[in-house]
Amino acid sequence: MADYEDDDVMQHLGSEPQGDFHAPAGHADEEEDYEQDDHAGPSTKEPRRSLYEDDEDEDDDEEEEEEEEEGGAGEGRPKKRTKHRHKKRNAVNRFLDVEAEVDEDEEEDEDEEAYVRDEFIEEGGDGVEDVARRAADHARLDRRDRELDDQDLARIAEDMKKRYTQSAVRYTGDMSEIPQRLLMPSVMDANLWQVRVRPNKERDIVFSLMRKAIDLEYTNRPLQILSAFQRDSLPGMIYVEARSSKQVSEACNGLVGVYPSRGITLVPIEEMASLLQIKKQDLTVTPGSWVRIKRGKYQGDLAQVMDITENGEEVGLKFIPRIDLNPKDDLTVDGKKRKKLGLGTTSLNMRPPQRFFNYEEVVKVYGRKMVSKRNQVYVFQNDTYKDGFIEKDFRLSALQLDDVSPTLDEITRFTKGMDGGENEGAVDLSIIAEASRKAAIAVLQPGDHVEVFEGEQSGAHGVVQSIEGDIVSLTAKGLEIDGTKIEVPARSVRKRFKPGDHVKVMTGKNADETGLVVSVAENVVTFLSDMSMQEVSVFSKDLREAAEVGSGTNIVGNYELHDLVQLDLQTVGVIYKTERDSFRVLDQNGQVRLVQPHQISMRRDSNRAIATDSEGHELRVGDNVKEVDGEGRKGRVIHTHQSHFAFLHNRDIVENGGVFVTRARSLASLAPKGNLMKLGNADLSKMNPAMSGGASGGMVGSGMGRGPRDRLIGVLVVIVKGSTKGHIGTIKDTNGNIARVELHSNNKIIMVDKDKLKRYNPMNKKTEPLESGFSGGLGGGGAGPGRTPQWSQPGGRTPGWGAAQGRTPNPYAGDGKTPAWNASSRTPNPYALDGGKTPAWNASSRTPNPYAQDGGRTPAWNASSRTPNPYAAGGSAGGWGNATPRGAGGWGGATPRQPAWGGATPSRSAGGGWGSGQDSWGENADSWQAAHSAATPAAAPTPANAPTPGLPTYQSVKTPGWDDVTAPTPGASGFDETSNETSFEVPKDWLLDPTLPPKKGMFVKIQGSRGPKPWFKGEKEGLRGVVDIVQQGSDYFASTAMIWFPDSSTDPLTVPVEYLVPVPPERVGNRVMGLDGEHKGETLTTVDVDGDIWNCTAGNTVYHYITGDRLVLLHED
Amino acid sequence: MATVTAAIPPQARAKQLRACLLCSIIQTPSDFRKDGCPNCEELMQMKGSSDRIQVCTTTYFDGVIAVIDPEQSWVARWQRTSKYVRGMYAVRVKGRVPEDVEAELEARGIKYRPRDQTDQD
Repeated sequence: MADYEDDDVMQHLGSEPQGDFHAPAGHADEEEDYEQDDHAGPSTKEPRRSLYEDDEDEDDDEEEEEEEEEGGAGEGRPKKRTKHRHKKRNAVNRFLDVEAEVDEDEEEDEDEEAYVRDEFIEEGGDGVEDVARRAADHARLDRRDRELDDQDLARIAEDMKKRYTQSAVRYTGDMSEIPQRLLMPSVMDANLWQVRVRPNKERDIVFSLMRKAIDLEYTNRPLQILSAFQRDSLPGMIYVEARSSKQVSEACNGLVGVYPSRGITLVPIEEMASLLQIKKQDLTVTPGSWVRIKRGKYQGDLAQVMDITENGEEVGLKFIPRIDLNPKDDLTVDGKKRKKLGLGTTSLNMRPPQRFFNYEEVVKVYGRKMVSKRNQVYVFQNDTYKDGFIEKDFRLSALQLDDVSPTLDEITRFTKGMDGGENEGAVDLSIIAEASRKAAIAVLQPGDHVEVFEGEQSGAHGVVQSIEGDIVSLTAKGLEIDGTKIEVPARSVRKRFKPGDHVKVMTGKNADETGLVVSVAENVVTFLSDMSMQEVSVFSKDLREAAEVGSGTNIVGNYELHDLVQLDLQTVGVIYKTERDSFRVLDQNGQVRLVQPHQISMRRDSNRAIATDSEGHELRVGDNVKEVDGEGRKGRVIHTHQSHFAFLHNRDIVENGGVFVTRARSLASLAPKGNLMKLGNADLSKMNPAMSGGASGGMVGSGMGRGPRDRLIGVLVVIVKGSTKGHIGTIKDTNGNIARVELHSNNKIIMVDKDKLKRYNPMNKKTEPLESGFSGGLGGGGAGPGRTPQWSQPGGRTPGWGAAQGRTPNPYAGDGKTPAWNASSRTPNPYALDGGKTPAWNASSRTPNPYAQDGGRTPAWNASSRTPNPYAAGGSAGGWGNATPRGAGGWGGATPRQPAWGGATPSRSAGGGWGSGQDSWGENADSWQAAHSAATPAAAPTPANAPTPGLPTYQSVKTPGWDDVTAPTPGASGFDETSNETSFEVPKDWLLDPTLPPKKGMFVKIQGSRGPKPWFKGEKEGLRGVVDIVQQGSDYFASTAMIWFPDSSTDPLTVPVEYLVPVPPERVGNRVMGLDGEHKGETLTTVDVDGDIWNCTAGNTVYHYITGDRLVLLHED
Repeated sequence: MATVTAAIPPQARAKQLRACLLCSIIQTPSDFRKDGCPNCEELMQMKGSSDRIQVCTTTYFDGVIAVIDPEQSWVARWQRTSKYVRGMYAVRVKGRVPEDVEAELEARGIKYRPRDQTDQD
């Protein structure tokens, strides 16, 4: 092949320059032979070349054609081939090893000579002349060619050089000269886009983006982004530089952990640079600085930097070793394995305490072999120990460099060295100061008085004007430089205090302590604490001038100043002083203790506790009291304990923060309390439900005793008014019209008016009136099961009520007759349904003489219905008039008398009595019990026992014509609320109403006597008289009333009842009787009037607002 | 985009990733050893020398930039890497180049800017 090659080259050398050169036949033959011999070569080469041919320039082709024309058909091919060779070589020579070609040339030369010789020999007879000419030609050609090649080489070299330098070689740093600020982004630059990514995946995603960019580079959809970066201090996000957010999302598309859906946010141009400028707190370490070890056996230990490797990755540390001097395995001397085991367990479970390396000790435990000594340095377990310290190299990443804040203890240990080394005695606090000097810069503020303690300006002091980075500019004070501004490094100044300054500690153990400076030594300030009256030494950097006298914080942990806390089983105490992390507690024995929060088992609440004072008054928290014996100290009760001890507080007492403990029995109230509160005078009868009915009425009996749990407690409500509107909460407690509602939003309990509350049904998210439907998820509330249906269906129409019957101590059930309420609750009009069958109230209302029938039983409940007891009020109001589902309502229905009248004639007094009946359920329940006991024959079996006045007179009411009664059916009007507001029409036969007490003394007016059925020809129309007696009629007689006329001389008349209407009250002070509603039958006195609304009272402090038409004036006698 | 691309480390999390103290490029130590620093090998001469790699690069860097189009990217310009090869660069590199490199830079009149963002003008 080499021959072939050579030959070929030679051929070309000879042929090309001379167009007319013709190779001799022999030569041609030879060529042909080569062709044949070396079949493989050219044949394989041929297609390759043709491949190239396609790629060749047009020039090439042209030349080719020329060649074709010039050369003969036979010679065309080799010529062409050589030509191509050469040509190609020229074209590609920069990619080829130039040296090799040069060598080739040289070889060629030799070969050429040989060839020339050969030819000469071969063609001997051709003539020397020709040969010489040819040789000369060759040489000339050669030279020319070589020249060409040289030029090529130079060019190639130049090219190479250019390319090489361009890509890498020389570091020019051509961009370092440009100031950074000139590199700030302009509007022409692409934007940065913030992309949310999975935290801890930022770096991977940036790498992924890079790889993706490279992968897609030559595809038809290359990534358009210019760069992407991530900062360790900005977790969860990367920044992508691109011209549009679309490019960003395209780039991020498909990458795991990128959340482009969370927004690709444009970074404002002015913030771009700062993203790259973020730097963590400069974490440079210098020899001598303090660090903490992050991991391993020495985790958290303080160490001092000794040296740093050049690249700053590792630092040599010196710290106190933790050598296990009690290895689990005592026989450590022999087995390495055992020892390792021991070490492993100790490092895992319990690390040995910090202890300076002591050769003797270690040798004793581990044996002499384990420790080797090399000039002043011990080597033990591959660690070196010097002066008791261990010296070890740590990677920077394993160290905590910031926030080291070495404590005084640690520094003390360090400086002491082993065996009380060089620094024994006074602890050099400046070491810490040095360590935390950086922190000192941070605490400097304009206005601080500082002094320069090092450098040129040392000794100068002044007020800080401004702080810029590490430079503090201050206005100097004193001496000749007074008033001049000087700038000093922040680390060279420290705060300056002088004795007498009032200071406050800002950080550290003594934080919030205040006091007066007593001495200043360097940067350690000693002050007398306002709190403890003790001297406290702190660094000046931690101090600030402060006018306030700090009592410190009053709250430590969960405990607060003046909390009553349980110290142990027997002991409680009151915190009278809080310190930084402890309390001073005065216990019930008067002893003072210093306790830590963890020593307190619990906080006690004595807000509801009641003790008894010396006079038997109850003593509550917050009362101002005085000691009756002993020192006669005064104070406010802050806690009572077991009704025996009282903790008082008086600011005037210096001792124990003004807190002292005394016996409750030795206290007397400073503010005299009402007699009512005196235990001895308590009206016990008020607490007796049985007696409450006849008492002064109203709510008296209700406040006492415990009724059933307030049904509103636990109810889910929504606040519909006020500042907390919209909040959802649960009622925790109620008190009158106020409910304490625990808000779901912030767990706070607030007091809210009940009328600002609406029951909230979480199922359908609807609100209902607070007192209404215990429906939905709340069915039943706290009520007995039997009553539930009644509530949910105010009409009480559910037969379920019947089931309750058996459970209810209902006297009527005992009668064996259909219980009245059953009928009433089921039917809108019990009269229609039950007819004469229902005895109880039907008897009373329908039969001419119910009392004759029911005998002694009736008055009992009638009495209760008529007594002005709250139950009656609440019952009728809530149950029937209002249609609220309260238990009272249910019971209203249950007691026969209620549905008939209470329901039919709802009270108009919507404001006062109404509300009271509605709101305080518990009280109602109480009184209900009272009423109930009165109502049931069992409890009050005889009429005489029922304290209703005037009951006996029932017997005398025997007016006939009752059959005509139609109006007062409960069902018709009783169930709907609007009936409240309907005006009241006095029934025609009102005077015959058996539920009204004796009508004697009522003022009536003759009215309607001139109508279609005139009476007395209408002569007496309009006369006003007083009822003397009412006579019940029968089928044959009309019911009449005997009237006398106090205003005129007219003789008493007997008047049919249908012509008599009640006379309403005329003025304030009138005695009146209610005709309707909850006050029916009550004798009241009008105290005020507003239009037609009369304010009446039954003689107590309960006022009722009743319309005039529901009242009848009573004669004064 | 005919620019040369530096070796992209296969694992982003790899602890041993090192950043060149001069040009801040991030590569694995083996890449540094094989090819040196693609930008400043002339000065650093890390190729084949683990010791040089130890002193001329560091693992202590913060923030990684994928420089995809150095010429166009503002980030690269801000970082002064826009004339460098494509690749991963660190935002901040802690440490200074060895003294000999610094001296050489000085001799050439090139201002040395440490990559730890200590001097920003």
